[in-house]
Amino acid sequence: MQVFFDDIAPGQRLPDASIGPISPAHIVRWSAAMENWHRIHYDERFARDHDGLDGLLVNGSWKQHILIRYLADWAGEQGWLGRLSMQFRAMSAVWETLVCHGEIISCARIGEWGSVLIRFGMTNADGTETAPGTAMAVLPLRDGPALPYPPDAVMQDLPDMEAPA
Amino acid sequence: MALVLTDEIRAMIGLTTGWQQAANAVEASEVRRFHHATMDCAPRYFDAGHAASSRYGALVAPPAFVVEMFRRPDAAPDPLDRFADDRNYDGAAQHFRGLPEIRTPLKRLLNGGYSYEFYRYARIGDQVERQSRFADIREKAGSAGPLLIILIETLYRTIEGTRLLRSVSTLIQR
Repeated sequence: MQVFFDDIAPGQRLPDASIGPISPAHIVRWSAAMENWHRIHYDERFARDHDGLDGLLVNGSWKQHILIRYLADWAGEQGWLGRLSMQFRAMSAVWETLVCHGEIISCARIGEWGSVLIRFGMTNADGTETAPGTAMAVLPLRDGPALPYPPDAVMQDLPDMEAPA
Repeated sequence: MALVLTDEIRAMIGLTTGWQQAANAVEASEVRRFHHATMDCAPRYFDAGHAASSRYGALVAPPAFVVEMFRRPDAAPDPLDRFADDRNYDGAAQHFRGLPEIRTPLKRLLNGGYSYEFYRYARIGDQVERQSRFADIREKAGSAGPLLIILIETLYRTIEGTRLLRSVSTLIQR
């Protein structure tokens, strides 16, 4: 269902999205698709003995694409995820169930559309924040025109975004 | 006083690659593998009828697919050959996106995060190229010694010049 700029306000939370448990098969499926042969993602003995980890690690590159999808899906087919900035703060181990979350920080009209600043992240099952960030999305107004695609005019007017806290 | 940020490394700030073309176009099966692995089965990636009637007008790839599509070209040396000499090789891909590796006494390279600006989604069949630049290199004191923070800005576009994405990746040597 499309979210419209009219329906949102600072302080509102995006619906959480739970993903997992992330098995070794999920990790190696991503590693193989990306041709990333870093052994900490599939060679448990190496991860423990060489890198001193507790076990296999979920790929940060995978987590970022999951978060991009989470935010782009929220903006919907009539909105646009314009900018995103995130940091990797903590690791996620195999068998984690991860939770994507977000909160609207501010909203502003830009021309015939609205921009939304979102603080987001991805937590491990114990609540540890692993990938905090901020994003700027553009939403249509319920009775306004559709966003153009490609969204050149929208991106041109999009305000700057603060770096993640 | 800078411990690892030498004048030679500092001089690399601003260093920019030429435009580097990905070995293969945006391929339907690669997009399938990507959206399966990210569990994102949106019809705009594989349902041509749906995509044609959507705002995209044709099948597209996931938002940041192009970041991951610069793979080993057909005849490029096999990075796994290193195992012949070093069974402790970690197998990690190089993260410098066509820029020269920055060599310091710091052994570990961590992925610190990303920033993205999305202009449009690549279409199936697009030939994509990228250009990378050391946007900044700075040293920071960490709890266990110095850290080198490396920011690499990369622009992605089709070979016809249609811009797709801008990324800034943060690498941390420690």
